[in-house]
Amino acid sequence: MHTRNKKHINVFVTFVRFVYLLMALLFALAPVYWMLTISFKTEVEQFASPPPWFSFTPTLEHYYDAFVTRAFGEYLLTSAIVAVTSTVLALIIGTLAAYALARFELPFKLNRRLSLWILSTRMFPAIVTAVPLFLMMRDVQLLNTRAALIIVYTAFNLPFVVWMMRGFFADLPRDLEEAALVDGDSRLGALVRIVLPLVTPGLAATAVFCLIVSWNEFLFALVLTQTDAAMTLPVGIAGRVTQYEIKWGVMSAAAAVAIVPILVFALALQKYLVRGLSMGAVKG
Amino acid sequence: MGIEFRNVTKTFGGACVVDDLSLEVRNGEFIVLLGPSGCGKTTTLRMLAGLENSTSGDIFIDGERVNDVPTQHRDLAMVFQSYALYPHMTIAENIGYPLRVRKLDKAERAARVQRVAAMLEIESLLERKPRQLSGGERQRVALARAIVREPRAYLMDEPLSNLDARLRVQMRGELKRLQHELGTTTIYVTHDQAEAMTLASRVAVLKKGRLQQFDTPLNIYNHPANKFVAEFVGSPSMNFIAGERVTMGIRPEHIQVLTTPEDGAMEARVYVTELMGNETFVFLTAGDNRLIARAPADFRADVDTRVWLRIAKEKIHYFDPESGSSCES
Repeated sequence: MHTRNKKHINVFVTFVRFVYLLMALLFALAPVYWMLTISFKTEVEQFASPPPWFSFTPTLEHYYDAFVTRAFGEYLLTSAIVAVTSTVLALIIGTLAAYALARFELPFKLNRRLSLWILSTRMFPAIVTAVPLFLMMRDVQLLNTRAALIIVYTAFNLPFVVWMMRGFFADLPRDLEEAALVDGDSRLGALVRIVLPLVTPGLAATAVFCLIVSWNEFLFALVLTQTDAAMTLPVGIAGRVTQYEIKWGVMSAAAAVAIVPILVFALALQKYLVRGLSMGAVKG
Repeated sequence: MGIEFRNVTKTFGGACVVDDLSLEVRNGEFIVLLGPSGCGKTTTLRMLAGLENSTSGDIFIDGERVNDVPTQHRDLAMVFQSYALYPHMTIAENIGYPLRVRKLDKAERAARVQRVAAMLEIESLLERKPRQLSGGERQRVALARAIVREPRAYLMDEPLSNLDARLRVQMRGELKRLQHELGTTTIYVTHDQAEAMTLASRVAVLKKGRLQQFDTPLNIYNHPANKFVAEFVGSPSMNFIAGERVTMGIRPEHIQVLTTPEDGAMEARVYVTELMGNETFVFLTAGDNRLIARAPADFRADVDTRVWLRIAKEKIHYFDPESGSSCES
């Protein structure tokens, strides 16, 4: 009797759990579902009321329109180049800075102060720097170039990389690097051969975050690029909202494609992600 | 030649960790830096390795002043207390690492790793990762990584302290044998006086950053320079009897416990006895003094029994009660 009661309760608890999960999933995925279906619907079906939830004739015309007729293929390429390059740059510069902050004792408590200064560059709203950056980029004639975005995104991601990596380095026992030095390796050699392999999960987690931020960034891309030469996907998509019409189909098709690279990247690094995000918390 | 510390001082913040240390190590010697925790012995070793800069003074290796030579160019090998094995590399890669950074070719590297592994009997572990090894095995790997090349000296920072008692004694013997075979200068840090006595050709006893005595283990034991050395070396510790003008020190093995009165013997009471198997430690109270004596294994006495102590007069050490320094000779 007793155990049967327990069993009932367990079934009930499991049921409630699933209901909650389902609700959370619905909440998170509803816009994605909407976007996906719109990207496959004809314009007539897009505005049908009530909307056809599942039974509609799928069409690829919006994908064709976006990537063949219009320049979305190029936007995608720009997005990829800008996001990947700025992520790699931010990781290289930020990791070296973080290592220095974690391991070398600077005078005047500079370790702590520098760290805070670096973090403080992220404390104001991004829009504050938009105008100065625009003027600076104009003066060095980098407006409407991928280079401008790469520079800005790298700078924007740096504080994040420094803070994440500093934590991972700090958790690593110094003995290992000291052993490498005594064994005859240089500082940089020890960093590359001993330290970095040990913080791979942290690097991966940091890389995913940087990539997502750069990939999705809208404000600076909008301000610094106005021509197709250096337009990223988010700006390109938003550009289909015009004074006369809103190209829902094209926007949805481009957005659907925009999701894919990040999704693939995050899945590929999934095993590192979980470890990386919990690395500081649990010492193994 | 060898290694020399000349007036080396190290301060951290305001605290003086190593205080005007001068020490000369001859080639091929096995030197043990001995002292309680916080005496500066590890800092001394780290300064020699270049992992710490001295505040003042000079350090020489083979006559070359190395103060400004970075760690990687000092050509030393070090065994860390934590072993510091590289967790992402196999044992073979760990041992081969010092050779790899010296750009030895692969075949030569493999051959030397194999040779050292055979020497330390860890050939079967070469493909494993450090986390799959027991403490004793890790210790051997750390040692193998140190001896795989021929450095100017081995530095060892309490390498046996993470092993259990039985393994510690076994490894102690192997270390001594190894050093004898290789003949390389070794500086060994420990707080364990038994390790110091058994391993060292000479022992440097440190206290609060100051060198107390630097001599052979036997001389340290038989002629301690001061009360601190006398007390720190030897187990159980030396007994001290405070007098007005001198403090007397007598080792437990030089006190014979008698159950019947005898002329000139000091009367005492048994506080407690501890049977060690091969001998018995007798804890005694004599007036205000507490003493320890070593007695044969078959010695039996109840708590609070009256006993008489025969003390070997010629074995008594005399110390200045103020400074603690020895009044001998």
